Amino acid sequence: MAAGEEEKGAVESPETKPTEIPPDWKANIIAFACHYCAFAAADLAGVMRLSYPPNVKVIRLPCTGKLDQVYIMRAFERGIDGVFVAG
Amino acid sequence: MTRSAPGQEKAGSVLVVGSGIGGMQSALDLANSGLLVHMINDEPSIGGTMSRLDKTFPTGDCAMCMISPRMVESSRHPNIRMYTMASVTSVEGEAGNFTVTLKEKARYVDPDRCTGCGACEEKCPSRVTNVFNLGLDKRRAIYALFPQAVPNTRAIDPEHCLYLTKNVCKKCEKVCDAVAINFDDTDKEYELTVGSIILTPGAKTYDPSINQDFGYGRIENVVTALQFERLLSASGPCGGEVERPTDKAHPKRLAWIQCVGSRNEHNANPWCSSVCCMYAAKQSIIAKEHDPEVEATIFYMDLRAFGKDFDKYIDKAKNDSGVTYRRAMVSQIIEEPETLSPIIHYIDEDGKRIQETFDMVILSIGFEPREQAAAFAQTFGIETDDYGFAKTSKLKPVETSRPGVYVAGIYQGPKDIPETVIQGSGASARAMSLLGESRGKEIEEVVLPPERDIDGEEPKVGVIVCHCGVNIAGTVDVEKVAEVAAEQPGVAHSETIIYACAPDGQQKIRELVKDKGLNRVVIASCTPRTHSPLFQDTIREVGLNKFLFELADIREQCSWCHKEDKEVATQKAIEIVNMNVAKTRLLDPVTQNSVGVNGAALIVGGGIAGMTAALSLAEQGYGVHLVERTPKLGGLLNQIRHNLEGDDVQQYLGEVKAKVEASEQIEVHLETTVESTDGFVGNFTTTLSNEERIEHGAIVIATGGSEYQPTEYSFNESDSVITHRQLEEMLAENPPDKDHTYVMIQCVGSREEPANYCSRVCCQDALKNSIAIKKQSPQTQVIVLYRDMRAYGLKEDYYKQARDLGVLFFLFTPDQKPVVVPNDEQGCTVTLDGKVLGTEIEIDADYVVLSTGLRPQEDATEFAKKYKLTCNVDEYFLEAHVKLRPVDFPSEGFFLAGLGHAPKNLEETISQSLAAAGRAGALLSHDSLTVSGVISKHNRQICMSCLACFRACPFDSPFIDEDGMVSHNEVKCTGCGICAGVCPAKAFQVNFFRDDQIEAMIDSVTEID
Repeated sequence: MAAGEEEKGAVESPETKPTEIPPDWKANIIAFACHYCAFAAADLAGVMRLSYPPNVKVIRLPCTGKLDQVYIMRAFERGIDGVFVAG
Repeated sequence: MTRSAPGQEKAGSVLVVGSGIGGMQSALDLANSGLLVHMINDEPSIGGTMSRLDKTFPTGDCAMCMISPRMVESSRHPNIRMYTMASVTSVEGEAGNFTVTLKEKARYVDPDRCTGCGACEEKCPSRVTNVFNLGLDKRRAIYALFPQAVPNTRAIDPEHCLYLTKNVCKKCEKVCDAVAINFDDTDKEYELTVGSIILTPGAKTYDPSINQDFGYGRIENVVTALQFERLLSASGPCGGEVERPTDKAHPKRLAWIQCVGSRNEHNANPWCSSVCCMYAAKQSIIAKEHDPEVEATIFYMDLRAFGKDFDKYIDKAKNDSGVTYRRAMVSQIIEEPETLSPIIHYIDEDGKRIQETFDMVILSIGFEPREQAAAFAQTFGIETDDYGFAKTSKLKPVETSRPGVYVAGIYQGPKDIPETVIQGSGASARAMSLLGESRGKEIEEVVLPPERDIDGEEPKVGVIVCHCGVNIAGTVDVEKVAEVAAEQPGVAHSETIIYACAPDGQQKIRELVKDKGLNRVVIASCTPRTHSPLFQDTIREVGLNKFLFELADIREQCSWCHKEDKEVATQKAIEIVNMNVAKTRLLDPVTQNSVGVNGAALIVGGGIAGMTAALSLAEQGYGVHLVERTPKLGGLLNQIRHNLEGDDVQQYLGEVKAKVEASEQIEVHLETTVESTDGFVGNFTTTLSNEERIEHGAIVIATGGSEYQPTEYSFNESDSVITHRQLEEMLAENPPDKDHTYVMIQCVGSREEPANYCSRVCCQDALKNSIAIKKQSPQTQVIVLYRDMRAYGLKEDYYKQARDLGVLFFLFTPDQKPVVVPNDEQGCTVTLDGKVLGTEIEIDADYVVLSTGLRPQEDATEFAKKYKLTCNVDEYFLEAHVKLRPVDFPSEGFFLAGLGHAPKNLEETISQSLAAAGRAGALLSHDSLTVSGVISKHNRQICMSCLACFRACPFDSPFIDEDGMVSHNEVKCTGCGICAGVCPAKAFQVNFFRDDQIEAMIDSVTEID
């Protein structure tokens, strides 16, 4: 996929030349979910026995209004591959 | 025991007979209002019919997951005393002072000693047909009714126990380390004094082996819907993998036959059972979810999807799950000799005889009164109807013929779960009215041990990983999760447990906290949304602050979603648990403030719903402000003369209005609306349009609905096209002409866009007026053009009566609606496609009567916005939970009744209004309420008063104080944390969701190896 490769090139930094992505690599993702909606939706996915990739960990917030930029920066700083905010 | 003679002070206790979802609702409401409740049932566990269900319509929620917390709550409530395997033998006395004799059967297991470990069950050699699973498998002679049974003390079945029948064995006694087996146990008798009695005994299901046309009992692959429910259930006889009884293969072609045992006065019961259409849709959808190759066919007569959002659920079954609906009469089922597959013989809509083979056939059996219904009624001294259901009036739906004895649920007539819950609360409201003066008289205050001071202690976290039977342990290696958790910093103890939420599980948790000196607890099980309160109470009972606890959701968000890869699921569960351990290490105790409760209620809407709720609350002893925007009380009911059952509605309405106007506790505000409401549960201040300010503790929204004004079928062009309201007026003034023909058209403005839902009352309207015409003038022709006659429950009698009186019913479909052409002078010509008679029919109608549906109030969404309530797509208010909280709003202190919730008839409106009054009354009975602990804490020391929070808070909690700096009103705070998110100085921190706690979770999942 040309678009994807281009994007990969764009994030390349001079210090760490990206190596080939190993075939078994999976993104590590954090989801910040509102207790009342997105967290409930994640529960509902379970109740409905829907299957989705396991590499997403949900952190429950009382509301997505509680999300602080610091959380996102900290997650990326510590090597997370993606942050998903849902609420 | 002291007995109070009649005329003495009323007792402060209530007997609730039956402990299904309706009985538990009554018991909990009463117990929360300060009355002592004796709850009895005749099975070894509470739970009733709902505990046998797999999922529920129309949301697909797991029945056990909903009812289990209620069961535990009922069993833990300090004001509820439970008697299982018990029945009432006599009732004496009168309302306010009944003397009741109870007989409790010998259980042969000591509940004080039994830990519910189940070791006895494994060793018991006696195999008995498992009645709970409807004979699909075997249980032992010593047994728990089902895995989540409450109480989970095993019971010995004396008819099958080898020792009790043949004097041999005693294996259970040998294996029981707790020494709980007691073969000398005897039946016990109790005498109780109670002020009121609520009957919620439920019903039984029809036994289809009585009628052999469908081969039940002879053809193995023909099962009942309740058996199929157990086959679908993860805790059922085949672990949730649907298996065909003959060969254990996964059946692909499934057929449901509706109305088995219902709507059949010749061979079975004449009534409609109200729930079968919906549960068949649910079962077909769930069967398809279990196995995408399933092809489902439902054979039906009328599709009775009359409840809120039910038609949408049927559409989902048809469109998303590909369920085939076949309007056909099934004549018989025979067995294919080789494959043992059932072959259904039926006649299709074109009159052709067809045979179709299925892998399995499910009989949608209905409800009927229990075997002992007559003796039961006699014991309680109440009258029944001709069918054995408790006799009630449509205007007093929860009152039996004996004062002080109330009824709720299916014993009052067939109904579904939310309606049962509504009646449960409604019946408790009646009892609260009766016993208002004796509230608090017989209950004991809950005494909790003082909270342990953990200040200065190092974190000692206990981790308990729940198997949830096989729900979690079937996918996740729970032992491994517990082992890894044990290695986490701060963890002092870690182990697994079969069911953390069961009473023995909770007992185990309490013991661990004490024995291991734990100061924080993580339970890895299901969702905190439903189960946190339960476990918080559990640890509080042993002196730990409720907020030293977190739930790690490894069921909904792990085991149920990643069934296909156990290793991956285990790894994810480990990460989820570790994240929550990281947070829990940093948890601190939270103190909760309490606020006083204003003992008055505001009711918005002066229709029959608002007035009924107002009278009930006034009788309970609370002040009421009843606000009505028109100059007149009564709402839509002012336009109705009679109901289907023939009660004089205007007389009733007149009596209710007079009582409301005469009540000293009710202040009526006519031609008034609510401008704004400030405050919070227990302490609201509402400003009315006349600038009057009202203080109140609860608010009941009973704003009603409106009647659809039709434009279809030439309504605006001809005086011969009228509505049922007009027809009722006409019939009241002049009897119908014997030469006239009336054509009624159903579903006008309902069940199609833009109002794609059933208005529920129009079929009843058409039956009422067609019967009225035929009774007055048998020669007058009445023709009803319908899509599905939704004469649910006991209203089926009137559908039959109308047919017997000669009313003609012709079917039409929405794609081929009847055509009405007004004649030049009087009357209309109605043309109908020839679906039924095979040829197009033309009717010369003198009157065309449109069955117009109900609509929400025009300003319903605007009103909802004012109170931050939500509406469904049809603009009816959305309740807190469709099944179990049908009269609550998600916002605390807000309750709901009447047409604003969904279309319903008078009887149902009265029930719901009583329920709202019962729920509100239970709230208002408290002198003070404890405020939520999860709120934002403001640190004035570092606050710069930049006003970011002041602007962002949707609840107006931060305010500018007298010193010009920002302060924070914690009582208004909902703990959303928006203030914390926007505050540049980090002066706000939300209890239980502090930045350091969230960051610890982030760090836990980002730790690089």
